[in-house]
Amino acid sequence: MTFLENYVFYVGAFGLVLIGLFTILVKRNLIKAIIGLAILDTGVNLFLISVGYLARGTAPIYTRAEQGAQPMVDPVPQALVLTAIVIGVAVLALALALAIRLYRHYGTLDLRKITEQRW
Amino acid sequence: MVNPVLLIVVPLGFAFLIPILSLLSKKAAKYIPPIPLCFNIVVSLLLLPRALENPVVVSIGGWQPAFSINLVAGPVGILLSAVVAFVGLLVSIYAVDYIREGATDRYHMLFLLLLTGATGVVLTGDIFNLFVFFEILCISSYALVAYAGDKAGIESAVKYLIQGAVGSSLLLIGIGLLYGLFGTLNMADIAKALQSPSSLPVFVPMALIISGLGVEAAIFPLNGWLPDAHSSAPSPVSAILSGIAIEVGLYAIARVVFTIFGLSIDSTSNFLMFLAVLGILTLLVGEMCALGQNNIKRMLAYSSIGQMGLILFALAMASSYAVVGGLFQLVSHTLAKALLFLTVGYMTYRTHSLDVSALAGIGKRMPITSLAFTIGAFSLIGLPPFAGFPSKLLIVRAALATKECLFFVLIGGALLGTVIEAAYFFRIVQVLYFKDGNTNIARKQVPAVALIPIVIFVILIVGIGIYPKFITGLLSSAAAELLNRVDYIRNVLG
Repeated sequence: MTFLENYVFYVGAFGLVLIGLFTILVKRNLIKAIIGLAILDTGVNLFLISVGYLARGTAPIYTRAEQGAQPMVDPVPQALVLTAIVIGVAVLALALALAIRLYRHYGTLDLRKITEQRW
Repeated sequence: MVNPVLLIVVPLGFAFLIPILSLLSKKAAKYIPPIPLCFNIVVSLLLLPRALENPVVVSIGGWQPAFSINLVAGPVGILLSAVVAFVGLLVSIYAVDYIREGATDRYHMLFLLLLTGATGVVLTGDIFNLFVFFEILCISSYALVAYAGDKAGIESAVKYLIQGAVGSSLLLIGIGLLYGLFGTLNMADIAKALQSPSSLPVFVPMALIISGLGVEAAIFPLNGWLPDAHSSAPSPVSAILSGIAIEVGLYAIARVVFTIFGLSIDSTSNFLMFLAVLGILTLLVGEMCALGQNNIKRMLAYSSIGQMGLILFALAMASSYAVVGGLFQLVSHTLAKALLFLTVGYMTYRTHSLDVSALAGIGKRMPITSLAFTIGAFSLIGLPPFAGFPSKLLIVRAALATKECLFFVLIGGALLGTVIEAAYFFRIVQVLYFKDGNTNIARKQVPAVALIPIVIFVILIVGIGIYPKFITGLLSSAAAELLNRVDYIRNVLG
C-alpha cells in the first residue's frame, strides 16, 4: 500500500481524468457529458497541483528576513491551475449555453437523436 | 524598435473595445476589426528584417528568459503572424457586408479574439502560454461556429466543443508532465534539458501533447468535428477556421515536435514516420469523403482535412526542403481555402442552397466570383501557374530526395489524393460553367466590399504561383528556424 500512500494525489487525479473521459464517451445525455467534462477538468487541475505539492510545505512567501529555509510548495503549478480553472469555467459556461440552444432546436438532449450532421 | 508584444496586445484591446463601442453605436462594430489587423500587418513587416537576422526575443515583465513568459518572434512566428493578420484583414473586410444578422458586435469581438489567440500561439515561447492562447482561439471558434444559432450550427458547435475540450485537457496533462519532469515551462529551457525523446517518461507527454493539439489540427482519427463545424459556420468564419485555426494547430505540433522534443528523421525514434503515415491517411480520408459530397461547404471542409494531411506529411519528413514545402503548402492552402469559402459564401447566398447542383449556371450569373472560385480550386489542386503548384512540387521533390522507400510509397498516396481532389473540383467547375441552371437568379455581382478581398486573394495566388521566389526566401529561413533547435535555445537563453 506504500505506492498508494506515496502517490495518492496522482492516483486520484488520473482516476478523475479517467472517470471524466468515461462519462464523456459513454453517456448519451449532453448534460451528463458536460458533467464528465467538468470532472475531467478537475482531474487535470488536481494533477497539476500535485506536481508542485510538498507534504507540510508552506506558501513560498518571504516576508521576514529571519525566515529560514523550510519546505515550500512550488507556486508555478498553482498559478497554472488558476488559469486552467478560469478557462474551464469559460468552456463549461459555453457548453451549457449551447446545450440550452440545442434543447430548443431538438426538444431533447439525447445525443443519439441529434444526428443531422453526419459524415 | 517595435515590440512584438504589440501584435497580441493591440487586437486584444480592440476586441474588448468593440462591446463598449457598440453601446454607443450599433453600426460602428464592423469597422473596428480591420484597424488592429492593418496595424498587425505593418508591425509584422517592420519586424521582419530584424527577425530574419536574429529572432527577436521579448521577456514579459523584465525577468530573464526561463523564468519569464517570453515571445520569440523568429521568421516562422513573424511569417505566420503576418499571414494571420493579412487573411484576417481581408476576411474582416468581407464580413463588413456579409454579417448582417444576429449580434454583430459579438461576432466581430470573437473574430478579433480568435485572431489574437492565433497570433499568440505562433509567437509564444512558453508552453503554458501556448496552451492559454490556444484556448482563446478554441473558445472563440466554438462560439463563432454557433454564431448563426441555427440547428446545424449549434449541433456542430457542441460536437466541436466537447472534442476540443477533451483535446485541451490532454494537452494540459502533457504540459503538467513536462513541468514535473523538467521544472520549467519555457520551451527553450525544456529543449535544453531534454536529451533523448525516445525514453518513456518523455514519450508519454509528447504523445499527449500531440494528440491534444491534433484535435485542433484535424489529424485523421481526431477530426470528426471539422466537416460539421466548418460547413455550418457562416462563410467568413469557415474561411478563418479553415485558413487559420487548423494551420495554427499544425504549427504548434511542428514547434513541439521539432523544437521541444528535437525529433529528427535520423533519430532512433520512428515517431516522425508515424506522423507521416498519419498525414497521408488524413489526406486520403479527407479527399475520399470530399469526393462523395453534395454540399459544397462540406466538400471544402473535407478538402481542408486532406490539405492538413499533406502539410503534416511534408513537415514530418523533417528535411529542410520538405519543411519549406510544408510551410509553402500551408500558406497557399490558407490563401486558396479562404478565397474558396469567401466566394462560396456569396454564391450560396444567391442560390439559397448549399447543394452543388444548385450552382449550375452561376458561371454566367456571377462571372468574377466564379472565376475567383475556379482559380482557388485550381490552386488547391496544384495546377500551374497558381500558388499550389510550386508548393506541391516542392513536397514531391523533397519526398523523392529522401531516398526512403516508405516516403516513396506515401508520396504516391499523396498524388492519388491530388487526383481525387482534381476530380471533385473539376466537377464543380463544370457545374458552374457548363450546366444550364436556374435562370431566376439575378445577374448581380457581389458587393464591392466583398469583391476587394476576393480580388486581392486572386492576385496573390497568381502572383505567388508565377513568381514563387517572392516568398521562398522567407520560407526557407522559417524552415531553418523550425529545424535548428540549438540556435533556438541559444537565441532564447542567451
